Amino acid sequence: MGLLPFRPESSTGKPSAVNSSKPKGRRSSLKNRLVLFGLMAALFLFAIGCSKEGQSTWEAFGPVAQKQLDLFNVLLWVMVAVFIIVEGVLLYAIIRYRRRPGDEKPPQIHGNTSLEIVLTIIPTILVLALGIWSVFTLFEIDKPPKGGPEPLHVIVTGHQWWFEFEYPDAGNGKHIITANDLRIPVDRPITLSLESDDVIHSFWVPKLAGKLDMVPTHINEMWFQADSDKIDDDLPVSLYGQCAELCGLAHALMRFRVTVMEQAQFDSWAADYGPPPTNTARAKKGQQVFAANCTLCHNIDGPDDPSLAKSRLEGFLTGGDITPVPAPNLTDLRTRETLAAGIIDLSETTLRDWIHDPEDLKPGNYMSERAVLYQNGTADLSDEEIDALVGYLLDLR
Amino acid sequence: MAAITGVIPRPTSYAGLWGWITTVDHKRIGVLYGLTAFIFLIFAGIEAGVIRLQLASAESDLIGPGRYNEMFTMHATTMVFMVIMPLSVSFFNIVIPLAIGARDVAFPRLNALSYWIFLFGGVLMHMSFVVDQVPDAGWFSYANLTEKPFSVDRGLDYWAISLLVMGTSSVAGALNFIVTIINLRAPGMTMMRMPVFVWMTLITSLLLVLAFPVITVGLIELTMDRNFGTHFFIPAEGGDPILWQHLFWVFGHPEVYILILPAMGMVTEILPTFSRKPLFGYPFIVFSGIVIGIMGWAVWSHHMFTVGLGPVANSVFTITTMLIAVPTGVKIFNWIGTLWKGSIEFTTAMMFALAFIALFIVGGLSGVSHAVSPSDFQQQDTYYIVAHIHYVLFGGSIVAIFAGTYYWFPKITGKMLDETLGKLNFWLIFIGMNLTFFPMHFVGLNGMPRRIYTYSSEFGWEHMNQLASIGYIVMALGFLVFMYNLWQTRNSRRVSHDPWDAPGVEWTISSPPPPYNFAEIPQILGRDHYWIVKENAEAAGTPITGPEAQVDPSSIHMPSPSYWPLFTAIGVALIGGGLLSHYALSFVGGIIAMVGTVAWANEPPSAPSDHH
Repeated sequence: MGLLPFRPESSTGKPSAVNSSKPKGRRSSLKNRLVLFGLMAALFLFAIGCSKEGQSTWEAFGPVAQKQLDLFNVLLWVMVAVFIIVEGVLLYAIIRYRRRPGDEKPPQIHGNTSLEIVLTIIPTILVLALGIWSVFTLFEIDKPPKGGPEPLHVIVTGHQWWFEFEYPDAGNGKHIITANDLRIPVDRPITLSLESDDVIHSFWVPKLAGKLDMVPTHINEMWFQADSDKIDDDLPVSLYGQCAELCGLAHALMRFRVTVMEQAQFDSWAADYGPPPTNTARAKKGQQVFAANCTLCHNIDGPDDPSLAKSRLEGFLTGGDITPVPAPNLTDLRTRETLAAGIIDLSETTLRDWIHDPEDLKPGNYMSERAVLYQNGTADLSDEEIDALVGYLLDLR
Repeated sequence: MAAITGVIPRPTSYAGLWGWITTVDHKRIGVLYGLTAFIFLIFAGIEAGVIRLQLASAESDLIGPGRYNEMFTMHATTMVFMVIMPLSVSFFNIVIPLAIGARDVAFPRLNALSYWIFLFGGVLMHMSFVVDQVPDAGWFSYANLTEKPFSVDRGLDYWAISLLVMGTSSVAGALNFIVTIINLRAPGMTMMRMPVFVWMTLITSLLLVLAFPVITVGLIELTMDRNFGTHFFIPAEGGDPILWQHLFWVFGHPEVYILILPAMGMVTEILPTFSRKPLFGYPFIVFSGIVIGIMGWAVWSHHMFTVGLGPVANSVFTITTMLIAVPTGVKIFNWIGTLWKGSIEFTTAMMFALAFIALFIVGGLSGVSHAVSPSDFQQQDTYYIVAHIHYVLFGGSIVAIFAGTYYWFPKITGKMLDETLGKLNFWLIFIGMNLTFFPMHFVGLNGMPRRIYTYSSEFGWEHMNQLASIGYIVMALGFLVFMYNLWQTRNSRRVSHDPWDAPGVEWTISSPPPPYNFAEIPQILGRDHYWIVKENAEAAGTPITGPEAQVDPSSIHMPSPSYWPLFTAIGVALIGGGLLSHYALSFVGGIIAMVGTVAWANEPPSAPSDHH
C-alpha cells in the first residue's frame, strides 16, 4: 500500500462549496491595483536596468554576439512568460486559498497522475527545444562561414595583468606584436588563438562575442567579426574588453580595447608599426633613458625576440626579486588609446604619472614589484628623465 | 585497552557544560551544529557587508584588491561549507530520528565526532585571519592560480587542509544518516511513507558520500603540489589546470544539490501542515528528488562552458543541464498543487516556505538560461551568475532554513518564536534579498564581471550596485530581528507538543522531547501519521490533548555520553593544524586520534553505572 502512487481521496474531507467563497470585491480591486503597480514597477526597473553602454551585452556589433543575443532574447521572453504564469498561479493560490474564519478541513487530495504527466511533458518539450536550438547555434558560431573574406589571424596571450596581441601576418607579411589595444579591420572575420603564459584568464569583448578562457598550455580558438552596418559611429570605434576569470591581485584592472577600423586605416597602422623616431634631442635623451632602465623587460624596436620572451617568462615563473618578466611591447605605444591594460586613457600626463608611480594606478603590477627602477617605491628618475622618456615613447615634438 | 578507558571514568552527567561537551544525543548535537553554523553565518555576513560597501561606489578605494579577494573567497567558502551544509545537518540531527520514530541516530558517538571535527575544521579555516594569510583564490580556487609562485602565502593551504578536515566530518555524518534512515525507521514507516524531508536527507547523504571523495582527491593533489613538489596542476611541469576544474565541479555540482535538496525537503514538510492538506503528488516529489540526485552527476561541465571543451562537449552538457530543469519544475508544480484548494495559514514558517517557492522559481529560470551555452558565453563569470546563485542559495536554502527554524523551534525548545517579530523578520529578509540580488541580473547583463574589486563609472554599473548595497542593510536588519527573536524566547511561555496541528511523527511527543524521544516506538499508520492518529481518536470520541506519556528514563536503554569523540576530533584537527605549522604536531595529532579511536572501540555503548 505504501508503494501505491496515490491513495484514494479521503472520505473525511468533502469539498465544501459554501466555504470556498470568492475573495471580496473591494479587497480584490486593491489587490489588482497592487499587482498592476508591481508590474509597472518591474517594467520600469527593467527599462532602466538594461543599458547598451560600455561593456553591455544588450548590443551586438557582429554576427557571433548577435546570434548569442538573439538566443538570449528568445530565452528572456520564455523566462518572462513562465515567470508570470507560474508566479501568477502561485500568487493566485496563496490569495484565493488563504484561511478564513470558519474554514473547514479542505479536500484531502493526494495527487493527479494525468496532470503530473502533462506538467512533466510540457517543460520537457520546452527545454529540449531550447537545448536543440542552442546546439545548432553552438556549431554555427564555432567557425567563420566559408567563402567569406579572408580571416585575419591574431594570437592573444594572457599575462598577469595585461593582454598581448600578435599578428603573424598583418598584411604584406608584416609581423606585429602589441598589447592591450587590439586593432581589427571591419567586415572581416578575425580568428583568434587564445593562450596564457601564467594562470587562467578569459578573453571577453561583449559587443563582439562571448568569452573564452585562456588556459596555459592549451590553445583555444575563437573568432568574431565587426559589421559596419551594425556600427552607427564613424570608424575607428573603440570597444571594451575585460578579463573575466579571476587571475590574481589586479584581475579587476586587466582590461583592453578593440579598435574597429576601416581596412585602409588598419593597413596604414600596420605599415607604420615600428620604433618611435629619434630625430629630436628630447627623443634621443628618452631613448637613452629607456635603454638604461626598461629594455630588460620591454621591447620597443619591433616584435619581441622569442628566445628573449622565453627567458623573461622563466624569470617570472621562478620569481627572483629582480628578474626580467614578460612586459607589454611598446613599439606602437604612441598609437594606443589606453595605458596599463585599458584602465586609463593614454596622454602625456597619465603616462608621466604611470612611470612615476605605477603602484598607485594599478596595485599589484609587476613593474613596480620587480624592476630595479622601483626599488624605493617610485621611479628612480629625475623629472627631466621622465619627461624625455614620455617624449620619446609618445613621439612628442 | 580497558586500562585506557578505565583511567578516565565514563561521563554520566547530562547537565551543565560537560553534559553538552560529552553529549551523544542527536538533539543536542543538532543544536550545537545550528549555533556554530549561525556564528559562521555572522562572519560570512560581515564579509558580504565589506564586499557591498566596497562596491557601493565606482573606483572605491576602501579596501585593496588583496583584501577584496579574501573577502569573497571566505564569504563563499564559509557560506557553502560552514553555514548552509551544517545548518542542513543541524536539521537532519534534530528532525530525522524524531520523524522516523527512532531514539537516536545509528551511531551516536560518530555523530558527536562529526560535529567536533566540523567545529575544529571551521576554526582552523578562520585561523588564517589570525596569521593574516587568508585564502584568496575564490571558493572554487581554480588551479594554477592556487600554485606557487602565484599564491605564495599559506592561505590556500589553510583552505585545502581545513576543507579536508571538514570533509571527513561530512562523510561520517552522511554515512550515519544513511544507516539511520535505512535501519532505524519505526515499524510501519515504509520507504514510501517516509516524510519528504527524510527522503531528501537520504539522497543528500548519498550525494555527500559520493561527491566528497572527488574533492578530497583534488585537495590532496593541491596540497601535494604546494608543499611536496608534485605538479598535478602545474602546466609548466606537465600538469593540467583543467583537471582541477573537472575534479572541483564533479564534486561541485552535486554539492549544489546537497545545498538545496534539504531545503526542498523542509519546505515540503511545512506546506501541507499550513494548507491542512496532504502533500500533492508525493511519489512525484520523491522520484524527482531521486532523478535530480542521479542527473546531478551529468551536468558538471556547464560550469565550464567557456573553458574551450569544444562544441560537442558543450552540446552534451547543454542538453543534460536543460533536462535537469524538468524534475525541479515537477517539484514546483506539486508544491503549488499542495496549496491548491487548501486552507493556507500565514504563519512565519509558511511565509518563508512560500517565499522559497517564489524565489526558487526566479533562480530556476535564470538557471535554465545558463544552460543555453551560447548565451552563457556572455553571462559566465558576470553578476548575472551571482544573482542566480543567490536566488537559489539565499532565496532557496537560507529562506527554507528560516522556514524550518520557525517550524521546528517549538519542538526542540518547547517555546515559540514570536510571530509578530517573525513577520518583521520575514519582510526584511524578503525585501532586502530581492533588493540586493535582483539588480545583479541587470548589472551582469550590462557586462559587469564577478570578483572585481573596482569598476569604472563609465560602465554605468554604479546605481544598481548601490541598490544592492542598500538591500544588504535591509537583510542585515532582518537577521538582527531574528537574533532578537531567538533571545526573547527565554521568557516566553511553553507551548503544547503540537502547536501547528502537524502530520509528522515528531509532533506526537512532548516539546522538548525527552532524551529517549519515544517511550514506546510508535507503530506508523501512514504517510501523515499524526493526522491519521488524531482523526482516529476524534472518530473514537477521545480527542488527543497531550503528548505521549513520559516514562522513567532509566527504564530505557540509551547510549551514554562519551569523551572519546571530542578527544579523537582534537587529534584529527591537530593533524591538519600540524600540516600548517609544525609537522611534529601532526604526529601528535595522529597518535591522539589513534588512541581516541581505540579507546572508543573498547568503550561499551553504555556506562556500567547507567546499565539496568
